Amino acid sequence: MLLRSFAVQGSWNYQTLIGTGLAFVLAPALKEVYRGDGEALCRALGRHTELFNSHPYLAAVAAGAIARLEADGAPPETVARFKAAVRGSLGTLGDRLVWLMWRPMSVLLGLSLVLAGAAWWVGALAFLLVFNALHLWMRVWGLRIGLRDGLQIGRTLKGVPFPRIGDRAAQAGALLAGFAAALAATGRGSRPWEWGVAAAAALLGIALGPRVRPAAMVAMVLALVAGLVLART
Amino acid sequence: MTLTLAETVAVTLIGGLVALDGTSVGQFMVSRPFVAAALGGLVAGRPAEGIAAGVVLEALHLAVLPVGAARYPEGGPPAVAAGAVYAANFPPVAASATLLVTVLVALALEWAGGRSVEGMRQLNVRFAGAPAEGLTPGALAGRHLAPVAIDFVRGAALTLVAVLLLGWLLRAIDFSGFPSVAVGTLIRVSVVAGLASALRLFGRAHYPLFLAGAAAGVVVAWLA
Repeated sequence: MLLRSFAVQGSWNYQTLIGTGLAFVLAPALKEVYRGDGEALCRALGRHTELFNSHPYLAAVAAGAIARLEADGAPPETVARFKAAVRGSLGTLGDRLVWLMWRPMSVLLGLSLVLAGAAWWVGALAFLLVFNALHLWMRVWGLRIGLRDGLQIGRTLKGVPFPRIGDRAAQAGALLAGFAAALAATGRGSRPWEWGVAAAAALLGIALGPRVRPAAMVAMVLALVAGLVLART
Repeated sequence: MTLTLAETVAVTLIGGLVALDGTSVGQFMVSRPFVAAALGGLVAGRPAEGIAAGVVLEALHLAVLPVGAARYPEGGPPAVAAGAVYAANFPPVAASATLLVTVLVALALEWAGGRSVEGMRQLNVRFAGAPAEGLTPGALAGRHLAPVAIDFVRGAALTLVAVLLLGWLLRAIDFSGFPSVAVGTLIRVSVVAGLASALRLFGRAHYPLFLAGAAAGVVVAWLA
């Protein structure tokens, strides 16, 4: 189940989202539960392909808990209600911690090292190690507590310090964002007059947030066109 | 200089694997632009140059959030191609202008990659969508793994298109007389703006920490 959980999003689609993926993760456990009853196994696998969504790393929590419910002989309606109840919270919890806080912080650590002059592989490796430390822990821990707690998983998740980890990651990330931005602005090859422009760009970046990407694209296209015109004259 | 046939094949295959890492299998984040571009550069024999293109792409990708069914650009495969082609063309006639074209093409193909992911997810409904009454384990594996194979092919194709398009553009454009200083400054400030935009993810309440980090960065740059 743990290995299969790495491919839970393999068949992501707009109808059942990761439903088929969840059934794929559950298949080994269901084979054990319905050993000797092929028809019941087929029905159970079909049932679990219904709509489901979650943060991919925390899908292991749901998979573990569902496997436990199936092993305990819970009626299909109870399992369906449980899946509907956990999918929202597992999504929100993971999205906030991993995508919003941990991943940007880890990326900024790697970028900071590269911008500070470390070898390319040091920055890339530092990012991958830090990011995947939490990633792998979430998958292994999630499956374990899911299998252990079953229906009581909500109570366990309330006690997990995800918000505190997220807050610390946000603090480290803000520090690293400033560090990396300053290194990019004043690093090798920069000219003193660029520093003021870079400071203004940093303020603009904070104001624009994700819209900095299209804004930079427009500026780059204009620069390319202007450059081509100037080069011809 | 351009990529050899063997290097192009290797970059294309890495692009397919990186596309899988983005969503379908693993999500170890090898697909982040700066890692993917370094891998592309590694194939071309110059990973440090690959990561130079990757840093720009990464800074502009930082605030992109792959939440739920949101539309978002796909950073991995174009970054592999960008890193490989930029590294293969090193040292370029005009470094900043070459980097500008490399980044622009990669950004455009990131957008195209995002749209192709949407199309694939609609296609996946045919394979894995409708809940069946009953499924054998073998049938379930087939329904699940066919979309994985499609994703690999999609990522590889996107990477190959990016390699060919970038290679052609860098050969076709005459960079002599290009205003290198101004373009270099634009790229630098775009990176700074992209890095600073991450503060929006962490919350503006952390502004003092951002400033403290910036001060530390200035000191480190000065000491170096």
